[in-house]
Formats: sequence, C-alpha cells, structure tokens
Amino acid sequence: MIKFARKTAIAGIGATEFSKNSGRTPMQLATEASIAACVDAGVNPADVDGIVVFSAEKNTDIEVARNLGVRELTHFSMINHGGGAACGVIAQAAMALYSGAAKYVLVYRAFNERSWHRFGQGVQDAHQSPEAFDVSFSWTTPFGLLTPAQWVAMFATRYMHEYGATSEDFGRIAVADRKHAATNPAAFFFERPITLDDHQNSRMITEPLRLLDCCQESDGGQALLLTTEDRAMDLKQRPAVIASAAQGVAHDQHLMRSYYRESISGLPEIGVVARQLWESTGLGPDDIQTAILYDHFTPFVLTQLEEFGFCAEGEARHFIADGAIEMGGRLPINTNGGQLGEAYIHGMNGIAEAVRQIRGTAVNQVDHVDNVLVTAGTGVPTSGLILTQPQ
Amino acid sequence: MSDFLEQLRADVGKAGTPSVSRDPVNLPTVRNWCDAVAEANPYFTDPAAASAGPHGGLVAPPAMLNAWTMPGLIMGAPAPRDLDRPDANVYAQLEDAGFTGVVATNSDLYFDRYLRHGDLITGVTRLVEVSEQKTTRLGNGHFVTTEAEFTDAAGERVGSMRFRVLKYAKPEALAAEGDGAAAVPAEATDRPLRPKPKFNQDQEWFWQGLRQRELRIQRFTDDGSLVHPPANANPKTQAMDWDWVVASGKATLYSFTVPHYPQVPSFDYPHVVGLVELEEGVRLVSNIIGLKSNQLEIGMALEVCFVDTHDDVTLHQFRPAKTPRNSDTLAVAAVKVGDQLPLGPVPLDPLLIVSTAIATRDFQEVHHDRDIAQTRGSKDIFMNILTTSGIVTRWIGDWAGDDVIFKNLKIGLGAPNYPYDLMTLSGAVSEIGDDGTITVGFIGQNSVGAHVTGTADLTLPESTS
Repeated sequence: MIKFARKTAIAGIGATEFSKNSGRTPMQLATEASIAACVDAGVNPADVDGIVVFSAEKNTDIEVARNLGVRELTHFSMINHGGGAACGVIAQAAMALYSGAAKYVLVYRAFNERSWHRFGQGVQDAHQSPEAFDVSFSWTTPFGLLTPAQWVAMFATRYMHEYGATSEDFGRIAVADRKHAATNPAAFFFERPITLDDHQNSRMITEPLRLLDCCQESDGGQALLLTTEDRAMDLKQRPAVIASAAQGVAHDQHLMRSYYRESISGLPEIGVVARQLWESTGLGPDDIQTAILYDHFTPFVLTQLEEFGFCAEGEARHFIADGAIEMGGRLPINTNGGQLGEAYIHGMNGIAEAVRQIRGTAVNQVDHVDNVLVTAGTGVPTSGLILTQPQ
Repeated sequence: MSDFLEQLRADVGKAGTPSVSRDPVNLPTVRNWCDAVAEANPYFTDPAAASAGPHGGLVAPPAMLNAWTMPGLIMGAPAPRDLDRPDANVYAQLEDAGFTGVVATNSDLYFDRYLRHGDLITGVTRLVEVSEQKTTRLGNGHFVTTEAEFTDAAGERVGSMRFRVLKYAKPEALAAEGDGAAAVPAEATDRPLRPKPKFNQDQEWFWQGLRQRELRIQRFTDDGSLVHPPANANPKTQAMDWDWVVASGKATLYSFTVPHYPQVPSFDYPHVVGLVELEEGVRLVSNIIGLKSNQLEIGMALEVCFVDTHDDVTLHQFRPAKTPRNSDTLAVAAVKVGDQLPLGPVPLDPLLIVSTAIATRDFQEVHHDRDIAQTRGSKDIFMNILTTSGIVTRWIGDWAGDDVIFKNLKIGLGAPNYPYDLMTLSGAVSEIGDDGTITVGFIGQNSVGAHVTGTADLTLPESTS
C-alpha cells in the first residue's frame, strides 16, 4: 500500500510557450521552465535539493541544477519508458519527499520535439546494437511498423473489432480536446476547434488512425516543483496535494507493442495504476470531477476510461457519446486541450493543468473540483496520480 | 491518315487461311494445362467422373479454346508465321518500324460448347482493327484487334475469340541505354534496404531459421510452452532449457494497421502490417502481402511466405491462404448478386510463369527468357494471357464447383505479372440474368496494380445433389 498518500504536494508550476519551433535549445527551455516553477511556488531555485527526470530527458539534472544555482542535490533519479514516466516522476519525487531524502524536488520535461527530433518520424534508423532493448525492436521494425502511431493503431484495430468502436468514436476525443484548446490561449490550437467531419476528413496516417487522432509534435518545456504538504501550505500557491501517485507494468509488458497477451483490447498496466490509486486514496470514479487522460493517440483514451472504471470494458464509446468528456459533462477531460490541442510535452503539461484545476485557475475551470485524475503515456509502462484539495 | 497507318490497315476486314490444329484435343495436353494452372476439375482429366458429369465425357478447360491452333514450337526452323494471316502481316510491319514490344491487352473468349477429347479444331483469324499510334505506359504503339472463329471437324462453330495486342516501341529513355541489362528499372536498385533486424545469440536461431525458409517458435522443453518473442526463461516455470519448433505457417489475422505516413523510402505505401496468430498459438508481427486495405478481415486465414531483403536477411511475410475448392457445385438459387468469391492468391514464382507459358502452348521468349524480355523493354519475364485466362477460370471454378459451365470470359490486362510478385484474385457476382446466367466481375491485383480485370458469364445447375 502506498504510504505517501496526501503527504506531498505540487507547489509550483512553470512552462515555456508551446510551439512548433521554439528557436532556442531544449536546455534553455528546461532552465526557463524550472526557474518559472520555483518562482511560481515562491521557492529559491538554489534550495532545490532533488531532481527526478524522465530517462528520455536529454537535459541532464546536473546541468539544470547548475543553471539554477543549486547548492546540493540529495536525491536524483530517473524514470524509464518515455511518456509513461510523466506521473512516475511525481511518484518518485513524492517518495523522496516522504522519506526525507529531499525537501524540494524539481521535475521537468523540455524538448524540441517538432523542430529537432520528431518522435513521429519512426525508429527505422535507431536501435542498432545487439543489446536487449535494441533487439526488441527487431520483431517489428523490419516489417515497417516504425512509429508510435503505428504501434497504437495495431491495438486500435482489434479494439474496434471486439467492441464495435468506430473512427468516429475516436474522433469524439479529438473534438473534445480541441474544443477545450480553442479557449486556452496557451494551446497551440487556441481558437481552432474541429468538428467530427473535420476529423473524418483528415488524412489517414496509419489505418485506422487519422491525422486528427494523433497528438501534435511540439517544442516546449514544463516543470513542476514538489515539496511536502506541510511545507507547501506555507508557500505562495494553494498546494495541489498528491492524494496518491503510482506506476504500473503488467504481465508480458512490451514498449507500446504488448501484442502477445491473451487480450490486447485493454491496457492492463493502466489497470495496475488504477487499482493502486483507488486503494490508496479510498476514492473511486464518482469522486473525480475532471481528468487529464494521456492522449498521444485517441483510442487509448477510451481504454483508460474503461480501466479506471468510469464505464465497463468496451463501453467507453457510449460513455463519451453525449458530451460527457466536454466542459459541463460528467467528466470533462483534458481541459487544457490535451496533447492533441495544447501541446505534446510528454504529459507534463497535463499535470500542470491538473494543478490549475485544484487551484481554481484553469481557463476551462470545472466547478467544485475536489479530485483530479491524471495519467501518463499509455501502451508503455505507465503511471498516474490523483491531485486533491488541501485539508 | 499517314501512309504507314494506311498500309497497316490495308487488310482490315480480311481473314487469313484456316489454321488446323496439329493434334486433336487430347488428355496429355489438357493434363499439362491443368497441372500448371492448378485446375482440379475432374471432368477434364478423370474419365469416370467425366462420363457421369454434365458433359458426358472428358472435356477441355474452356479457356484452352485458342491454345489448340497455336503454332507450337519447332526448334531449328524459323518461327512458324503464316504471312497470309492479315494480323501476322501487320505485326511484321510494326516490328520493321521499331514497334518490337508486344503485350496482349484483351482477350474475350466465347464458348459455344466445351471441347471434347478428339475434337480437331480449325481457327480462322480476321483482322478487325489497327489503332492510330497511342501513347501508353509501356511506350508508343498500335493496338491490333483480331477475331478468331473456331470450328470442329464437322465445321460447327465451337467458340470465338476477340483478341487485342499492343505492339509498342520502348520509350527513348530505355532505348538509349541499349538493350539488355540496362533495362532493369531504376527503382529496383536505388531503393534503400529495409531496417535490418538486430539480434544476439538469444535470438539468432530465429533469424537463421528464416534464412532456411523456416518460421521457428521457441519451445521451453520442461512444459512445452511456446513463447514469442523469445525469452531467456520460461515465464511460467523459469526453466531455461528450450529448443524450437517449426511453425506450420498456417495463421489467422488477429489485428492490423495500414501505414500511410510517414513514408520511409524502403517501403511502399500504403502497406499492411499485421498481428498474426499462428495456429500453434503465438502471435507475431509481419507484413501482410497480396491484400488491399479493404480486403483485410480479422480472422482471415493466412499462410507464411518469405522474402530475402538483404544479402543475409530473410523475413517472414503472410499472404492470404488459398481457400479449398468447393466440392459441391453451387446451385443457381444459392447465388446472389453481390456474393463475394474467396480471395485467390497466386504466388508468381518464375516456375509458374515459365511452366504455364509452355503448358498453354505459348513459346514467346518474353515468357521464359529474361534477357530477351528486358531487351524488349520489360523488366523481367511475365505471365502470358492464356495463363491468366486459365487461372481465372480455375479460380472461379473452385468457387462454383465442378458442374459450372462457362459461356464466356472477357479479360483486360494491365500490370504484368512478373516473377516473385503475388497476384490476388477477388471478385463478386455482379449480375444474374433472367435465364440464370451468372456474371462474375473480378480483378487480379499484384504489387504494381491491376494485372487483370474482367467478367465471366457462367451457368450453374438448378439444383445440386
């Protein structure tokens, strides 16, 4: 059982602008976002004594620490598996804070994922060593299954087959996200909502996924500053208390290509996260007013709704059909526009949005928010968290 | 009209001298044809079955209609060409003018009755039309249309054929490079190779298996568990002793995606990547070939095949599995407009191209000699049109059953069937006439495009026993 439930909080958030070409280096973005998070919290950057980053993060902890004038780090660690790390870095930071290993832990993600290296372009030239990680790609790459969209599409086709979901069901996720982005000035797609027809007419990327099923490739940086709940209460902002945070890997896990399990129409690793979050908080789906569900590709948003128990297996298309996931609905999701509408910052911008929902400062503010659910990259080893109001 | 065209058209409307088949319709020739095109209807080769069947005795496959009067191969003598035939005369003139390439583009066969063994066939060919010079994908050329009428020894008409060939000149670009090897298309050599699989000693047996055309699955010897992708220990027992089994290659499609973007130069887009469930129970990711996106169905039967992608790499691929022949003839009442025929995969091995050309009595070098085929502007040898007719009727017959009677077969050819490709036939019932005539529309697609499109009219019994 997770013991740090309600013991730690996100005290500060900081981001750069989100764009298709930042015009500066990822290290510059990481530095700007990190300083902004400290300033937001009212913490001297030099007081940061812990850093947790994604293993995918190229801006190393020590260089960011140097830019921040950090005197010493007593905790530094890394969470593996791409965007699946987004809430994992929070869980790790919370554990470090709860155990006393650090007092102020910085987490950040910054990259030029559009203007420099685009994840969507494929892994055809990567993974050339005989080490196990590289070898694992040989079961797919020589056959031209090269991109995250293609990896997810393989699950999506089967999901449609088993549950009768359609491309329009996927499209409703995109429409909701873009509706929320349209009123968020920080979103790349500010004032650019889409219709279901736009979705259906967007070009095919990898059947059954269309362009508007796929998140943007983005440049930008997002940082969060965490501390214990006690300390957070004395800082500048209302703390977004971490009710719980958890990671999850399920049996026979592969990196976005867990194709060999008995069923591939669920996301059992998300199920592992959900079980821990509900157990450690005593909360359930009815206690969640809004959620940030990782939306690199639309189909897995449906699966997440099912794994968290907002609806039964295979029923998510009915759950979302009547606008339930839009503002004013039963469970508005991705109120910042999500990664489809705001920016793809590997899920970190979604955690910042959850903090704003707790603070009451979101541009699309949901009424009476007690608890916000946030998830990380799906298909990969993953993570999730619930933010809650301070006592 | 140019003088040349006028000259080409001088004999339009004229018929050549009757050409009498050198042999009567006979079992060995029929058997060679059936073997080459995988025709298994017993009415063509099994006397007992045939005498009990609707023809009352052995008959020839209908698509062989024009094979009987073809000239044959006489080694050591000039190619037998009857210059009295008005079409042969046109071909000779076109060749002299540089239109040395030849492809058959259309063949409409009409069957008045099935030929019985012993029938001696006479054919008379009339020149119907010579087109103006046309620009085609292959080069500039003229279409030459003929009609042939076939009669039996009693002078009764047994069938006819409207036939169109394109005589063309190689495009300048190819001609400038001279004859022979230079004609190999650039894309075949410029394309970057696929990403190569990386492996270490834990998996090299898998990739070595593929080199030997074996799809191997890891088996843990303690409990017989099959595991893919391979593991270092049995996930159920942690035992580390394992060997492998060779998969049968039979599989079903579990899921798939069809990538369109981004386009990596080593692949053609869109292409199909499937998640394939082997009958042994494990799944693997593989290319699915020979199927268009709208032909993919989860659960469809597939079979393994192999492709050499690098000097030292062979990959598994899966193609649609051949559907077994229908052992009971369909009754006409059981057929509805829109009924789909089972997909007909035809792997185009060089052996198939060459053996079917010979079995269909077509000895043109472009069907068996790559050097000559390339000299004539083709990238390789290619399937002859009689074989296409034979395979299409075989495939329709496999669906309809032994008692089907073909009334006609009309085909148009497009993308040539080159060796190492795969053609997949698909089709549906497009019409059922008041007299019960069933029209099947079909297309045979290879990796380049539509090799054949056409229709066949056929009849089926009122009821079946």
